[in-house]
Amino acid sequence: MSQLYDLKVLIENKIKADGLDAAAVKGKIGLRSGKMLAFITPSTPDDADTVAKLKLAVKEVLHINA
Amino acid sequence: MNWNLIRTKVLAALLACLIVGVGGTLALMQYTFDRNAQALAGESVSGAHKLFAILEAREISKMTAVSDALIMDPEIRDAFATRDRSRLLELTAPLYSKLKSEGITNWMFHTPEPDMSVFLRLHNPAMFGDHLNRYVDKEVMRTHAVVAGNELAKAGFAVRILRPVYDARGGLIGYVEFGEELGQFIHTMKSQTGDDYGLLLGKKYVDRQFWADSNAVWKRRNNWDDNPNFVVADKTTASDSIMQFRGDLDAVPAQGRVLERFRAGDSVFIRGLFPIRDAAGNTVGAMFVVRDISGVYAAMRHAQNILVLLIVVSLTVGILLVLTLLNRLIFTRLRHITAVATRVVGGDYDSEIRVTSEDEVGQFEQLFEQFRRIFVDLLAHLPEMQEKV
Repeated sequence: MSQLYDLKVLIENKIKADGLDAAAVKGKIGLRSGKMLAFITPSTPDDADTVAKLKLAVKEVLHINA
Repeated sequence: MNWNLIRTKVLAALLACLIVGVGGTLALMQYTFDRNAQALAGESVSGAHKLFAILEAREISKMTAVSDALIMDPEIRDAFATRDRSRLLELTAPLYSKLKSEGITNWMFHTPEPDMSVFLRLHNPAMFGDHLNRYVDKEVMRTHAVVAGNELAKAGFAVRILRPVYDARGGLIGYVEFGEELGQFIHTMKSQTGDDYGLLLGKKYVDRQFWADSNAVWKRRNNWDDNPNFVVADKTTASDSIMQFRGDLDAVPAQGRVLERFRAGDSVFIRGLFPIRDAAGNTVGAMFVVRDISGVYAAMRHAQNILVLLIVVSLTVGILLVLTLLNRLIFTRLRHITAVATRVVGGDYDSEIRVTSEDEVGQFEQLFEQFRRIFVDLLAHLPEMQEKV
């Protein structure tokens, strides 16, 4: 499993736990990081730049440090 | 405040319009008031000048008519010809009382040249024999005709007429003079115009000691030191402060000069002055004119307040209207497009953009909805395309 996929799972768990609008939250994170979460699978290879952007987007949208 | 937002920029522009509108209106009103005040002051000065000239001409005409009637009286003529002072006084004193009530304050008989001394002063019979050596004296001796004009004595300024008196054979007996204090004019002028006036006399033409003595006799405050170049001989107002002029009376142009506007308490005044020349043409004094324009000023302020209120209200309504329109026609619809785009990226491929109008934003909504459909279709066929690759 990749770091990107771990981040995706973290996001989905947070959405589920807080009862957030999944499409809106995922859309915001996707637009900010430049990566559609739907395209991230367990086999998606890690890319340091994308991982950093995704972490930043998660922090900005969900206010959590990934 | 986020300056990147169109809303903020539009609001700032509209507020700037409001400030410029209110400021411009205030400036325009002030400019208009200044112009009107200047015009009113000019009108007051020129009107007072004309009125003064009319009064002067009327009084000269009156005194000339009185002198015409006087020299026709053989008894008076004989008393004057025989230099019988007490008889002349006896004959003329009753008439002088009447003339005095009509404003003629000075009445003199002069002996002929070369001596030309005062033979009888009806307004001061005990004083005679002195030589006045004024311009009008020289002029009447030169022309032997009626001479009229303003003549400044030691402590007063009067319009005078001086004429020769002849006996039955045409021989020159002497001269008769009538005079009326110019200070009286200003009270007549005030009653006609409502403005206040002050008669100023150039100090170089007035004897300081005589002025002090004269004020003591009349129980008036000695105002010699109030102003550097002139004394106020008479005025129609109790206030001394409104007669302010630091210039030189000689430099006041013939048509007069409008001075600055000023405030005293709640009142606003405009003022000006015009020169008064003596019979020789010297500027020996000036008439100070003061008009209370508090009513005009209050009306201007009232109009200004109403205009400012109207502008503030109309621009505020305008600002609210523009912001409401912008919100409904642009910002809300843009927010909807952004929300749908975000949801699509987040995996909600069924979110659609509602095309609400055919305006510019509506065209963009339509374009974006088409783009969304293509994007969703592309995502649906992505696995198939990857297999082919």
